[in-house]
Amino acid sequence: CLLLVFVFFTSCTQDFEEINTNPNSPVAVQPSLLLRQVVYDYGEQMSYEGFTAGNLLGQYTTALDFNLFDRHNLKSPQLGGNPWPILYTNLRDNEIMLNLALENETFAVYEGPSRIMKAYMAAALTDIFGDVPYFEAFRGSNATVTPIYDSQESIYMDEDGILDNLDKGIAAIQNYSGTIALEGDILFNGDLDGWSRFANSLKIKYLIRISDKMDVSQTLQNVVSDGNFISESNQNATFDFTDGEPNNFRLARLRIGDFNNFVLSETMDDILTELNDPRIATLFRPFGNSMSGDFNGLLNGIDASQTSIALADYSLAGTIFRENTGALDANFMTSWETHFLLAEAAEKGLISGDAQELYELGVSQAFAYWNVSLPENYLNAEGAYAAPGTSALQQIITQKWIANMINGYEGWIEYRRTGFPQLQTISASLNDDLIPVRMPYPAEEAALNNVNYSKAAEATEGNSINVRVWWDD
Amino acid sequence: QTIINGTVTDENKVPIPFVNILAVDTETGATTDENGDYSITIPLNSGVLRFSILGYTPAEVPFDTSGTLNVTLTEASEELSEVVITALGVRRETKELGYVVQSLDSESITEVKSINFLDNLSGKLAGVTINQGATGVGSSSKITIRGEASFSNNNPLFVVDGVPINNNSVFNFTNEAAAGFQEIDFGNGAMEVNPDDIAEVSVLKGPSAAALYGTRASNGVIVIETKSGAKSKGLGISYNTSFFVDSAFRLPDFQNTFGQGNSGEFAYVDGLGGGTNDNITYSWGPRLDVGNLIPQFDSPVTLPDGSIVRGGDTALYNGLPITATPFTSNPDNLKNFYQTGTTFINNIAISSGFDKGDIRLSFTDLRSESIIPGVNLDRQTVSAKLGFRPTEKLRINSTISYINSQSDNRPSNGYGSENVNYSLVAWGPRSLNIDNLRNYWQPGLEGTQQYSFNYTFFDNPYFILFENRNSFNRDRVFGNISASYDITQHLTATVRTGMDYSSELRQLRRAFSSNRFSNGGYAEHDVFFREINTDFLINYSNVFNDFKVDVSLGGNRLDQKAFTGQSQTTSLAQPGIFRLSNAASPIEVFEFESNKRINSFYGIAKFGYKDFLFVDVTGRNDWSSVLATPFSVDNTSFFYPSVSSSFILSNVVDLPELVSFAKLRASWAQVGNDTNAYQTTGAFVAQTPFNGQPTFSNQNSIANPNLRPERTSSFEVGADIRFFGDQLRFDISYYNALTEDQIISLPIGISSGFTQQVVNGGKVRSKGLEIIAGISPIISDNFRWNSTLNFSTNRATVEDLPQEDGRLTLAYSRIYDSQNQTVFLQVDEGGRVGDLYGTGYLKNEDGDFILTDEGRYIPDNNLQKLGNYNPDFILGFNNQFNYKNWNLGFLFDWRQGGIIVSRTRALGNVGGQLAETENRPEAGIVPEGVVNVGTNEAPVYEPNTVAVSAESYYRQFYDRNHEENNTYDASFLKLRQFAIGYTFDNLNFFNQNTSISLSIIGRNLFAITENPHFDPEQLAVQGQGFISGIEDMSYATTRSFGFKAGFNF
Repeated sequence: CLLLVFVFFTSCTQDFEEINTNPNSPVAVQPSLLLRQVVYDYGEQMSYEGFTAGNLLGQYTTALDFNLFDRHNLKSPQLGGNPWPILYTNLRDNEIMLNLALENETFAVYEGPSRIMKAYMAAALTDIFGDVPYFEAFRGSNATVTPIYDSQESIYMDEDGILDNLDKGIAAIQNYSGTIALEGDILFNGDLDGWSRFANSLKIKYLIRISDKMDVSQTLQNVVSDGNFISESNQNATFDFTDGEPNNFRLARLRIGDFNNFVLSETMDDILTELNDPRIATLFRPFGNSMSGDFNGLLNGIDASQTSIALADYSLAGTIFRENTGALDANFMTSWETHFLLAEAAEKGLISGDAQELYELGVSQAFAYWNVSLPENYLNAEGAYAAPGTSALQQIITQKWIANMINGYEGWIEYRRTGFPQLQTISASLNDDLIPVRMPYPAEEAALNNVNYSKAAEATEGNSINVRVWWDD
Repeated sequence: QTIINGTVTDENKVPIPFVNILAVDTETGATTDENGDYSITIPLNSGVLRFSILGYTPAEVPFDTSGTLNVTLTEASEELSEVVITALGVRRETKELGYVVQSLDSESITEVKSINFLDNLSGKLAGVTINQGATGVGSSSKITIRGEASFSNNNPLFVVDGVPINNNSVFNFTNEAAAGFQEIDFGNGAMEVNPDDIAEVSVLKGPSAAALYGTRASNGVIVIETKSGAKSKGLGISYNTSFFVDSAFRLPDFQNTFGQGNSGEFAYVDGLGGGTNDNITYSWGPRLDVGNLIPQFDSPVTLPDGSIVRGGDTALYNGLPITATPFTSNPDNLKNFYQTGTTFINNIAISSGFDKGDIRLSFTDLRSESIIPGVNLDRQTVSAKLGFRPTEKLRINSTISYINSQSDNRPSNGYGSENVNYSLVAWGPRSLNIDNLRNYWQPGLEGTQQYSFNYTFFDNPYFILFENRNSFNRDRVFGNISASYDITQHLTATVRTGMDYSSELRQLRRAFSSNRFSNGGYAEHDVFFREINTDFLINYSNVFNDFKVDVSLGGNRLDQKAFTGQSQTTSLAQPGIFRLSNAASPIEVFEFESNKRINSFYGIAKFGYKDFLFVDVTGRNDWSSVLATPFSVDNTSFFYPSVSSSFILSNVVDLPELVSFAKLRASWAQVGNDTNAYQTTGAFVAQTPFNGQPTFSNQNSIANPNLRPERTSSFEVGADIRFFGDQLRFDISYYNALTEDQIISLPIGISSGFTQQVVNGGKVRSKGLEIIAGISPIISDNFRWNSTLNFSTNRATVEDLPQEDGRLTLAYSRIYDSQNQTVFLQVDEGGRVGDLYGTGYLKNEDGDFILTDEGRYIPDNNLQKLGNYNPDFILGFNNQFNYKNWNLGFLFDWRQGGIIVSRTRALGNVGGQLAETENRPEAGIVPEGVVNVGTNEAPVYEPNTVAVSAESYYRQFYDRNHEENNTYDASFLKLRQFAIGYTFDNLNFFNQNTSISLSIIGRNLFAITENPHFDPEQLAVQGQGFISGIEDMSYATTRSFGFKAGFNF
């Protein structure tokens, strides 16, 4: 009997390796699953950020209550307003994909797209926050878990930075001779040329963004001369939301009260009304108390405890953001944005080209993007390139700003760079009536990456939202 | 030589096992077996036998011939059971133990039964803290023994008849954002232990007592022994019935002067912002009861055909004028919402002991209707305990319990529209007449469109409870079979195998027009658990002259499998059909399976010298699969020893007359603790598919292939001293434990790409003092008065953390996914486990709020310590009076110190609902604080004189982004239970000696505490765990009165 008992326990660790092997999830995955994840997750989350936070900073919409963020206390976001984890999580998954592509010949086709996505997300990160952890970041499992902060200049300019990754990504696509197709690509359905055009459009965008700091005209001219950028709407880097779950726009899934907390901003109202722009009827809906389908906006940043507001007096966002999100895109890069960028470059003499022609192409593509037909005289009246009382740059940036609604923080970023459109001083500012020019680092960095954070905070006057980033300095 | 045998019984002819028998003036001794039988061979022809066992007056009986000698012992004191169950289910005399073991008998557990077994223990055991959950009948309760010293796991182990059972609380899968399903508490595993089947509960508090139970014992062990039929000669039948009436205990204190609205204005049009301030339901509106006529959700709308509907019937009649009606207060609207709850517990048990065995069969039926409408719990328990002795040497025992628990609805936890307190307390306007919500469908739209007072964020509470039900049905079986064989007189071998199995189906239904599920929703959640423990034990015991030796060697294999899988759809094709086949969107699936095996060998050697010195030495080695990687088993083995000693002073030296017993004890022990499965390798996690195509993301936690087990080393000293013939008894314990190498999910900045890293590290020092005082001031034939005081205090201090600086976040409780509206449970070096952190407003060095020149507080987003949730001390005071056939008992439970952060206070005051906001002077309120009239460098502070509007003041002061102003002292004194009863004994029914006892009983009859709004005993739920120290939109707890009757044939 005794012997039997001991036989029963023969080996004390038998089968332990198998028992502690996770049956729920894989330890490794195909890069196609990561590519689909990164593009979808980034697009879904940053579109939501765009609606709930970017639109407030860019004064497309304003929040009626629970609105400390809209009053420019950016450290107190309510819905959205904290893109930091979205960016780093996707940069991490993207980095895993890039490493798979570099380490494994059969996955080489993923090198180009992963480098382009890396550049794209890194630019969003640094344009929003300024100096951020980058070269040591998002590789915590085999490097440091407390990455140092890198300067925005180095993130743009250095090896493995934004511009370098775009170049290497384009080169990887050009040099790819394998036969294995790109899978999991929800932007271009595996068309590598689409990725090249996307990369070149991004290159145009980022070169212009740093054009106050660097002489970019030669590089820019080369990209333009090659002509391999997004120039047609059907080449846009976008994916479609759906009407039904789970791929509908997130505001369709939230409570009606969360959606109703956002109404048309006075800034957006004024601009669209002055332009007599029919897109207002797509982007917004007439206010409830209106008898004749009128639109009405509210100045951003009210103090809800001092103000009695009737929601029915203000315009809610359009049905495309809740009831009909199948008509909405997650926007990474478009032909119209490229043309507005080129128009600006031509206007500033950075490249050769007809700025007005580029502008007008941009406007017409932007109307098409929002499924609104361009009024016949739009480009000859208030929307004209040389409309009276405006400047060309104002017209270009304003048109880009309108079309960029819910595109992350783009409208606000370009306002910071160009000053257009003129945003309004908000109603009850918690930031001394200043428009913020960067987002603050999240509090968790101070707690969890303190040594490196402290240096970055020092460089931003105590993590101030009124300190300009490098390209804006 | 004389051979004597016989039976030792008590005054009621019940056999007494383990009585020590000593032939006076010899070294010869014996003990009675489980049936009170003994046999002793004495090398003398005549002399005196001394029969002794703690708890009974020793008897000395002369003998002068071989033969039968039956002895009756009389009880010395009924208070402390002197033979307790210790590790591995071994019954031992407390005098031999080098550590404290406290036990409760069946009477003290069943006197006033609670639905959750754990609540029965509250206040009755020193060092044991119970906290009840926040969602009424069927909620989990949380138990901790000697405080919380581990950063990750402080759950004690539960053992029933020698076999572990699980005490898990498994939550549904949720979405932190204000969407999808909220957390629902479906109860904890140990709640299902049936008080009517319990003979005795023993609490092994420290590692010394528990070391033999291995890796899960570092937080103490609750050892439960069920009733057997051994005491029933012939057929015994008992029937017990309890009936409780429950009412809401402590409702929020509301203001009743102002109704719905903002800035004093309100008019209802559509509850969506179409009217004046009718999108959100603050009570900053017009005055109530002053003759105002205002259109409201329940005001009439006259249709063109002359018929009348309600203002809130907006889906069909929006736009028609609503007739203004009186704007009146509803002081009792929440009180009227809660109903009278009822609980019936019926138990029948049949037991019989016969010459070759014994049997007990029991059936218990529990039916409870909560005070929360539509919420209930039904539980049926069938249990059987069998003992069989086919030969003198072989004993076979088996226990099995089958439990079915079910509920039609378990209410949702936490902040959000699925919790009715969201729309009743935080956002329930004071002008709301709740009776008018009972008819919760809009006419003609039954099943598709609810009727409510607001459609922006809030659901009709009746609609939530009757339509959006979270039901469950759980089958559970636990039990074991064991066989013991006496190989020789001194050598016994035992094998045993036991299982705890449960399988549960939960169904979460959401009707059309729910705020979070406009097209309805449905989830099925399967929860499976199975643990099998198989062990063997070989025991050798003998007596050599003055020495008693008892050595055991054993082994155990634990195999555990747990699975939780939730399949859900967040929109339905057709209303009212709650099936996955009715999904209108792709079905989402969340699954997790966990497997674990632990192999163990252990040994214990017990030595006794004469009747005053006892020493135990134990050692155990565990091999745990969770420390293995797919490639290595190197770190899986860990060994830990213990030693304990008891010295009975009163048997060695002559103490003053008034000292009747004195014992000193000391012990030292180590226990190892492993972790959850799959912490050693990383994995990728499936995410939302795009157009039906899969996506995967890396997990956010960095795995650690080099994990080591946690280790707790504990030192304990104590004394058991009794005076005046045991009428006054003190049992004092002091312990000092160090838990180190903790397995921690260390939070790291997401800039690393990850949010957590699994590491070993950290040291927590846990010190505490426990005093159990027993007082029996009056013991006469007719009148007895026994009191027990259980006092305990514990401090767990962090001595070291794995990271270089900063604090470690152990858990948090937040509103939605908002990092700002979060209470963090954090520790730092020198801090204590249980420290809560949040934010507040800027203050100067004197602690005054610094205000802007507009009279506004200035947010300070730096986390500051709000306090610690652990009480400074806990005192339970239990009293029992017996006069002839009358008995009276009551139990006070006093917890002093600690804080609680209250969401009800924050939201209820921001919403203008609670009494704190009643004072609203026209001229506004001058916030207390100072204004800096100097410079930033050289501040000069003067008292603020600027007034702000009352609404603005309260909304800022209690703002949910800043927790500092929303805390309360959590101290309380409760009358936990009360019973008065009478027993009719020696009745004769059907020629059977019968007794009937009747009592009136009560639970939670009153409480004294600082906060006016809720029961301070609270648990919040976040993610997959409980968070103490947070009141998160809790439901009212209950005050119960009842009646109990027991029949024994």
